Amino acid sequence: MRHISLVSLTAGAALLASGAAFAQTITPKPGESADLVLLPKFLGILPFDQANQGAQEAHAELQNPGELLYVGPTPENSVAGQIEIVTTAATQGQAGVMLSNNSGDQIVPAAKAAMEAGVKMVTWDSPIPSAEGEVLFVAQVDFNDIGVVMADMAHSILGGEGKFAVLSATPDAANQNAWIAAMETALQDSKYANIELLDTVYGDDQSELSYNRALALVDKYPDMELIMAPTSVGIQAAAKAMQDEGLCDTVKISGLGVPAEMVSYTLNGCAPEFALWDFVDLGYLTYYTTYLIATGQMQGEVGETFEAGRMGTYTIEKDPTRDAGNRVLMGPFTVYTKDNVEAAAQ
Amino acid sequence: MNLVRAAAAKLRSWEGFLLLILIITVIGNAIQSPVFLTVGNQINLFQLSIEKIIVALMMTLIIINAEIDLSVASMMGLSACAFGWLFLHGIPVPLAMIAAILVGTLGGAFNAFWITRVGIPSLVVTLAMLIGFRGLARVLVEDRGITGFPEWFDAMGQQPIIGPFPLALLIFFALLILLIVVLHFSAFGRYVYVIGNNAQMARYSGVDILRVKSILFIASGTVAALAGLLFAARVGAVRGDVALGFELDIITIVLLGGVSIFGGSGSIFGVLLSILIVLNLRNGMALANITGHLQTGVIGSLLILSVLIPNIRQRIRDALERYQAAR
Repeated sequence: MRHISLVSLTAGAALLASGAAFAQTITPKPGESADLVLLPKFLGILPFDQANQGAQEAHAELQNPGELLYVGPTPENSVAGQIEIVTTAATQGQAGVMLSNNSGDQIVPAAKAAMEAGVKMVTWDSPIPSAEGEVLFVAQVDFNDIGVVMADMAHSILGGEGKFAVLSATPDAANQNAWIAAMETALQDSKYANIELLDTVYGDDQSELSYNRALALVDKYPDMELIMAPTSVGIQAAAKAMQDEGLCDTVKISGLGVPAEMVSYTLNGCAPEFALWDFVDLGYLTYYTTYLIATGQMQGEVGETFEAGRMGTYTIEKDPTRDAGNRVLMGPFTVYTKDNVEAAAQ
Repeated sequence: MNLVRAAAAKLRSWEGFLLLILIITVIGNAIQSPVFLTVGNQINLFQLSIEKIIVALMMTLIIINAEIDLSVASMMGLSACAFGWLFLHGIPVPLAMIAAILVGTLGGAFNAFWITRVGIPSLVVTLAMLIGFRGLARVLVEDRGITGFPEWFDAMGQQPIIGPFPLALLIFFALLILLIVVLHFSAFGRYVYVIGNNAQMARYSGVDILRVKSILFIASGTVAALAGLLFAARVGAVRGDVALGFELDIITIVLLGGVSIFGGSGSIFGVLLSILIVLNLRNGMALANITGHLQTGVIGSLLILSVLIPNIRQRIRDALERYQAAR
């Protein structure tokens, strides 16, 4: 009996050891060379520049002797431009591309071809909907959390009762659609029974169009008291529209915005509450993840745990918000009000 | 003095000037990037803009005819979306493809009707249809992306079919040869130039102007629809913004090719050179990691030059003639 238990104990210990080996945290080995490309949806808006700042910080920290490029298309040429840059990266033999996808599944053929050519495709901010052509997605926050946070901001601004509309980005921006769907689910809760969502319109992430769409909403729904814009371009344009038209007392703006762009609207009451994650951190974490995968230190498979510098330890999991694909979840969320927006805007 | 005159004579031919720019661009690219001359990159260079350059070939004839078709990019979007919509409603893919191209033929005929039978300028008609076709495309697919086409359809846009050449590139070459023959070696081609030069004179010479113009616009719509379908196959998905804004790139290429916006002059060869310059410049800048805004700027400056240089040349020539006449 003693023997058997000893054997089983040994076996148990061996199992534990192998289990521990599997769950072992990957500590990035610095100084490995990998040419990486950070590809935003398009150039010229602040959040992507902040992500680049985070990626540059990680690039320096990991002492990657390779190059980190920040290239992107113009807003009006986003889809064709992203396809072109991914294709070019494959031709150049880049080690990895960090893509904030603005092309829906239209990017899939180019992304798959790049992967076949040996480029590690990692998405961040906005994934490839079908997950084809990407190793994994670095998600900013849990999409369901975004839904609850937006529902709560609506609840707080409307005082628990009232009507509001959504001003989104492009009609098939994967992330915005998922967030809006999550918010609609959250609104089912009895806590929000007296809050009504009137409409969802799209400003295509262009300031002028978003500005006009916001004003059109005001004309169409006289009893609307809030516009929720889950996009940094849309929320700023909507807030400016309400301010310009002197409507801030009747229609409030909320959603997802960048503190530096929103600070004046929050202080003057046009946009009393909005939320965001830190894009610098998102760029930093995306870089760590991609560096590990591109240098072969990590496979990008579910269950792998790794250290991402100052941000701590993360584990790759199955992406519950899509039918397929893996993700690394950054989290958490910050809600900005007049009390904390000034500090964050610095 | 002789040297200057010889150089000026070379420059006098716009095609010669374009060829010079092309050679400089290609050499510059080859020095700057070791992968530029690889077969894969050369194919990609065409593939990434293939739909635009197919439509640009047809646009050359329209502009030489002193007309314009601003609705081509919207038609590309409409045909892609019509295809997606039919696919979503269970229509077999080959049938949906034929229907999508017919949409282009009908759209072109619609343009032709207002231009030739009612006599509204093509600038106005096709501007209206730029909005109209795009609107229809967005109504068809609403706010979503349609994907999941059969593999053979996607392969048509993405895989090589003969040697390293994908289907779209072969279609481009076929259309190029066809249009060279039609424009430069047929009676129809001569009519296109004559009408573009002086429609009044063409009418007195018994040229059936309305017929020529109708054929051109119907062909333009059909080719645009085909290009839209090729785009759908290349990216394997469609949505309402397919080819949005492409008309400007297409017209830029044609004008840079030396085709006069007032009609009557220009050639397919010039446009082919212009296509090669624009594609090589874009590719070279992409390989050098020059980003979107600067790319747009460089190609924009090229267009400004292409408009200015012939004008300045004409003024110098006029001044010289006046000077000689005064002597």
